[in-house]
Amino acid sequence: MTKNNDTKAGPVVSVMIPTFNRPQYLYHAVASVLRQSYRPLQVIVINDGGVDVGDIVSSFRDPRLMLIDRRENRGKAYSLNEALARAEGKYVAYLDDDDIYYPNHIETLVHALESETDCQVAYSDFYKTYCRELSDGSRQVLSKVVEVSRDFDRFFMLHFNHVLHVCLMHRRDLIERTGPYNEQLNVLIDWDMTRRLVFFSNFYHVREITGEYYHPMGECDRISVQRRKDKQNYLRNVLTIRTTCPPKPWEKIQDMSIIFVADRLNKQAGETIRSLWQHTFVPYKLYLPMPESDFHRLNTDMPNLIFEPVDPHSSQDQRIDAVLERCEDEYIAIVPDGFPIENVWIEGALYALINSPLDHQGFELKGSTDSLWAAVVKKEDLRHARKTYPHLPVRESLKAAGVALRHPEFKEMPFQFDNLLHQAQSAEKDGNWSEAARIFESIADHYQNEVWMTRLAAKAFFHAGERERAAELSRKVNQQWPTVDTLLLEAKLKRQAKDFNSALKLLTSAEQILSGPDALAYHHTNLSTQDSACKRI
Amino acid sequence: MDVTLNDANPQHDSTQHYEVLQELGDCYNTMGNYPLAQEYYEKAVTLAPDEPGPYVGLGVIALQKNSLDDAETAFRVACRLDHHCIKAYAGLGITAQQKTDYKRAFDMYLKCLDLDSDNLIALLGLFQASCEMGSFADITHYLEVYLDMHPGDTSVMFPLASLYMKDGRFEKSKQVLLDLLTLDENHKDAIDLLEEVEHSLAQTKQNSPKEKKCVSGS
Repeated sequence: MTKNNDTKAGPVVSVMIPTFNRPQYLYHAVASVLRQSYRPLQVIVINDGGVDVGDIVSSFRDPRLMLIDRRENRGKAYSLNEALARAEGKYVAYLDDDDIYYPNHIETLVHALESETDCQVAYSDFYKTYCRELSDGSRQVLSKVVEVSRDFDRFFMLHFNHVLHVCLMHRRDLIERTGPYNEQLNVLIDWDMTRRLVFFSNFYHVREITGEYYHPMGECDRISVQRRKDKQNYLRNVLTIRTTCPPKPWEKIQDMSIIFVADRLNKQAGETIRSLWQHTFVPYKLYLPMPESDFHRLNTDMPNLIFEPVDPHSSQDQRIDAVLERCEDEYIAIVPDGFPIENVWIEGALYALINSPLDHQGFELKGSTDSLWAAVVKKEDLRHARKTYPHLPVRESLKAAGVALRHPEFKEMPFQFDNLLHQAQSAEKDGNWSEAARIFESIADHYQNEVWMTRLAAKAFFHAGERERAAELSRKVNQQWPTVDTLLLEAKLKRQAKDFNSALKLLTSAEQILSGPDALAYHHTNLSTQDSACKRI
Repeated sequence: MDVTLNDANPQHDSTQHYEVLQELGDCYNTMGNYPLAQEYYEKAVTLAPDEPGPYVGLGVIALQKNSLDDAETAFRVACRLDHHCIKAYAGLGITAQQKTDYKRAFDMYLKCLDLDSDNLIALLGLFQASCEMGSFADITHYLEVYLDMHPGDTSVMFPLASLYMKDGRFEKSKQVLLDLLTLDENHKDAIDLLEEVEHSLAQTKQNSPKEKKCVSGS
């Protein structure tokens, strides 16, 4: 990447560092921000009711640094909102109190956002640093691994997160579109925000390692990790995130209306609706054309629910027609009562429809049959079909109007990358390294994420004993994007080939990354020598 | 895909830094830079105190410096950390051999071969220790097993031919030597031994048609 050497000029970036009871690591987190090659920064440390960190912050004597010192513990989302209210930068970046940026982090992302793309969000890669915490407070680095280096995938981001917050930078004014951090959530706060960001912008992936986030071996004390252990609470948060959408208009996502057709709101219908709520991750509104007498039986806690009172004696087609006029969304799904609902139940057909190059297509849902027919179509196609052939059943009217209805083919389905990755990882687990290697290679060839997958393929080939291929791939990766893993792998192969000088060169590079100046080493002496008399900002 | 199983990649790679240091130690060790090798092995020990690898490396360095007691200590630690550490048993064998404790060397090499019949260092060490002790009871079997897996390894073919010779199995000895000379026609020791074997064969044929009777007591 070509970078502008004049880093003094440029838009201000607000870096927000919420902290809670981890003063021993905060110093290095803040220091890593202040030593960025990119200088126009506003650094906001938010003490979320934890131990006093005033001395640590003031010891830097840097006018770019601000401390929000709150006594009450209100959580990360509240802290970030508090910081956002004071942020002045064009861009916003995030850092946890125990993680670090490499000196080029901000410069790399600003450069990407300012000159390489029209994206308003960019992210880089970080090392996950496995550490052993020693009794003196220091952290011994055991390994540094780039666990995820995934190219932006909007559909996946709706389902789950693949961009860590610490790697992220975005325009601050996007928050006006997304809304603030959701303070009702107590886990997955970061994903909730990145999920909302995907409604408005593509994300630019800078394939460069620009920092580290730490992971202690053994029991992890991170609040987010602890909270994930409560499965019910975790699932509740997931459902809240999936069913919350930012205000429209959305530039990058089109909404879907699901018309649920049932005679009555009985137990089975209730079960189907609940299942639908639990298993749908794309944005949707659920329309319920039902007799008014069922209205009071509705669970009003469910979001995105739109009730349409209809004549109790009306047919299913009449009910669909009744609600169709109200539907504003681009896509419409028709789902009958009792339809089997499982993971990715509706998204497969929707994904195929969104990506179909042909007009007048409709895709039947997985599990759809003649007697229990369900499909996703474009609103305009359905409206045209109903207007032109109101006397026909919905399915027949679509056909009569020239809308081709079919099940999606395998190649049209979403998450092929993830399914293949899962297959490869299962093969690894079973010791089928050759099979895993070939799957990784195939993914690299056909599903983006080439360097990441090639790195995994090299490792798998090595374990499979296919040394030549492992050497070829690890060399290829190290020329573009060296990581500790691939440097070590190529070094092992060089040593086996008795090329000791090359092996030493590679190993020395790996060792420098592992214990270089950015290694997560914390020394009490650093802190004790700080000027404790500095004034609090 | 179920997000309730929320760890996308649960693998924990905790040995990477240790592996880098160990590899650095091994590289410098092989290249003869013992001070640097030692430095990296010692760093590796602090990261992974339960791994035998650095101790094996330190043992090898001690052997190179002829510090046999230090070498033995290091290899013993490695064995204690991993009862199946082949390199540590081989190291203990070499150390014992250099201390002229051939019985112990023999036992250590044997232990090593029990764990890995493929280990050439142990195999040749066992042969040398056997020669020193004048006892060849178990070794022929190990050499045969090794050669089955590595046909054409001339470094093992010669000792095996020597053992057949000592055991009076002249025909087998001759066959191995002929195979060896096909692979390495200038193998001086093999040429000499073949001459000796052929001489013994000729004598045997003169004395008795049954080879076994002639060789008893040889």
